Amino acid sequence: MNSLLLKTGILLHALGSFTHAQDRAKRMVEHYKIESISPPANIDPQVGALTVLKDGRIAVCFHHGQVEIWDPQKQGWQHFAEGLHEPLGILEEADGSLLVMQRPELTRLRDTDKDGVADVYQNVWDDYGMSGNYHEFAFGPALGPDGRLYMALNLASNGASIRPEIRGEWSPLGMPREDFYKDWGKMVGGAGRMYSRVEWRGWIMALDVKTGVAEPYACGFRSPDGIGFDAKGRLLVADNEGDWRPTSELHVVKKDGFYGHPGSLVWRKGWDQTPALKVPIEKLETMRTAAAIWFPHNVYANSPTQPLVIPKTPAWGPFGGQTIIGEMNVPRVLRLLLEEVDGVSQGACLAFIEHASLKSGIHRLAFSGDTLWIGRTHLSWAGGEGVGKVTPSGKKPFDLLDMRITPKGFRLEFTEPLAADSNDVAKWKVERFTYPYHVTYGTPNVGDMKRSAANPVKIKLSNGNMTAEVQFAEVKPNYVYDFDLKGIQSTSQHPPLNPKVAYTVRRIPK
Amino acid sequence: MNRLILLLLLLLYARFTHAQDKPTSKRKITMTMRDGLRFDPPRFSAQPGEHLEITIENADSTHQTHNFIVTQPGKREKVVQDAMALAEKGLEKSFAPDGEDVIVHSTLLEAEKKTTIELTVPEKPGIYPYVCTFPGHGMVMYGAMYVATEMPAVEQDTNLPPVAKEAAQTGGGKRPFVQRMFVPDAGPAAIAIALPNNQNVIWDAGQCRLRYAWEGEFIDARPYWGGNGSQLAQVPKARWWSAPRDAFPFRIKKSDGHPPQMKFLGYQLENGFPVFSFTLDGVLVSEKIESIEGGLTMRYRFEKCSQSVFFFKSGDGVTWTSSAGEVSEKGILLTAEQSAEFTLTVANIKKN
Repeated sequence: MNSLLLKTGILLHALGSFTHAQDRAKRMVEHYKIESISPPANIDPQVGALTVLKDGRIAVCFHHGQVEIWDPQKQGWQHFAEGLHEPLGILEEADGSLLVMQRPELTRLRDTDKDGVADVYQNVWDDYGMSGNYHEFAFGPALGPDGRLYMALNLASNGASIRPEIRGEWSPLGMPREDFYKDWGKMVGGAGRMYSRVEWRGWIMALDVKTGVAEPYACGFRSPDGIGFDAKGRLLVADNEGDWRPTSELHVVKKDGFYGHPGSLVWRKGWDQTPALKVPIEKLETMRTAAAIWFPHNVYANSPTQPLVIPKTPAWGPFGGQTIIGEMNVPRVLRLLLEEVDGVSQGACLAFIEHASLKSGIHRLAFSGDTLWIGRTHLSWAGGEGVGKVTPSGKKPFDLLDMRITPKGFRLEFTEPLAADSNDVAKWKVERFTYPYHVTYGTPNVGDMKRSAANPVKIKLSNGNMTAEVQFAEVKPNYVYDFDLKGIQSTSQHPPLNPKVAYTVRRIPK
Repeated sequence: MNRLILLLLLLLYARFTHAQDKPTSKRKITMTMRDGLRFDPPRFSAQPGEHLEITIENADSTHQTHNFIVTQPGKREKVVQDAMALAEKGLEKSFAPDGEDVIVHSTLLEAEKKTTIELTVPEKPGIYPYVCTFPGHGMVMYGAMYVATEMPAVEQDTNLPPVAKEAAQTGGGKRPFVQRMFVPDAGPAAIAIALPNNQNVIWDAGQCRLRYAWEGEFIDARPYWGGNGSQLAQVPKARWWSAPRDAFPFRIKKSDGHPPQMKFLGYQLENGFPVFSFTLDGVLVSEKIESIEGGLTMRYRFEKCSQSVFFFKSGDGVTWTSSAGEVSEKGILLTAEQSAEFTLTVANIKKN
């Protein structure tokens, strides 16, 4: 009998979360119209990059190296360029030429004879090494407030060795180059899980386009697919779960910073010649800047992609000026809520738009006014393909708008007033957990993390019940505070459209 | 009484199945999961009521876990969404949703693992999709079982993922055609060029020079594109000309001097033919590559070069000729004036 009750209980619980998910999916499409664009015929529709041109058309880089331009007016594609090697970034310049970051170089595409098709493929920057390893992707360019272009260079992976011929200087620190050409199955451990043996792998580079010279700006990155600037001009770089990355991370990058993965240190000016794998973790701890945001794996994001600022248009409403970021593994775009405490960057991530029709593999994002354009890829990992677009219906969702740390907890601001009984602490479900800094690949899934309940002791509603001060007995630094807001309702009797938010605490204000 | 009805039903069923007269032996087929989220084969035909024994093999060298689910016609995307909705319950259920949309499913298969499932093909003719519903795979990794239904041409088959429709020859036979790619026997910043007369070359942007030439089909980049990028494009092995691996062909001023400092500047397309630009010891050089029957022509322009230029001939079984300069056994010596524009021709002796 007890067992039957238990089973019924589980069933009802499952049913409850199922109805919640269904209800959320239904509400999601009331707020956001999600569509797909048919890709050009006979093309592998994996999108490496996309951008909105000044004339309103959308330039899209596909996996096989084509640049095709979608005209939303004519609802058709125009061919612009081809033959590029894994283009993963695109940016239009003032004169209308396109900069494309492909594996071997940053290339300027120009249509000099004005026939609509690029005829000049100019090398703008290729002053970095290539070992030929498949994981040495090149990301960017992101245009900085200083007018420079910022690129991120991926490390190599021990999933494969290097090629017989390489480009650029070889670092003598670590496993000798000849060992890379021996039986890789045996040598695989010697190089490190991800390694930087040619120049600027694991670095963010800042390029002065006029001189063609790039400054090594910051290091410590692993697989930094997402690079962009937020509305405050902060350089944001997303990095992927793996070795030295217990879960995926967002970093706020400053000049000369070191962001945790030691592979790239061998290229640091004045480096003491210690091979990357031999640097003691205590030393790394003193050098590194920890992630501003942890994306808990399997719950928030497994592979975060491009960060991008939401435009301040009426349709995007109160979210204008905030930053979104894509995610590869589930059909979800997230929102980032960043702040600085005593000069240390930290903040929260939460879902923003999530629906099956959005499809997974959300790799590149671009806004044209009210429309958010989405390019998907997988490159043989988890993901999807094709171009999608999202347009807000103009009906403002009930959602968490912003979240700030306070001396005793957090201040959560919502888009609508909360129901008056939201000051009941029992309605707030909060757990906390932390991640280690270690060479191991990732960590067990978040479900297996040592989560502990962090029950608020007091909730204070203010600002016409739009703001909730959530107070705890103590707030611990270097912990994720994972809020489940399904129990909170607005006066319209809905939970927030995106009821889960994870705040990474580094500093607590006094 | 109940037992009697059951017996009658069983009898009826036995008669019915007998009347259908279906082959009782099982047809064995293999379904392989490959790099780049692909099923191989991407489609196959089956007879209504046929018994299949499907060996499913995960040969994905990128070590991804997959499953194999056959769905009712038109239900592929729904099954993918239902699998996603399993959320944390997905792993224990092998990401196979309950319900009638799933005809048969495998367990989750890690890389290098095999399993066998049996399928009695439905009686109703139609196109039955198969799909991997492991999270993130479903929108890409699928194929189609055609049951008593005619298959359209691969290019027109809307039931196949785009990757299954790719042409073997990169560029689909277009000449001239330029594709930057990982290829064997060159640096990682290589450029493959398909030229008329069935000629093909690799130009190395990391070294500003031609590496080799072959006649016939262009590269096949599917191994690179279909995987995680660790596979090189396939290039036909029969090359009629190859440059030495570590020898730059040009010297400025002295033929026994050091190789010049080089910098790749890019290329311009002239009617589709690439004209490469680079500097050699600061001298701006352009190189336009075209083809002839059984050979190649390279038109060089050294801009405002104040020194003589020497070109080292290379390769066996080829002849080198030049529109200008003094040809010796070792190479071709051009005066500063002649270097302003000259054309080298390399021809395959066997073809001429």
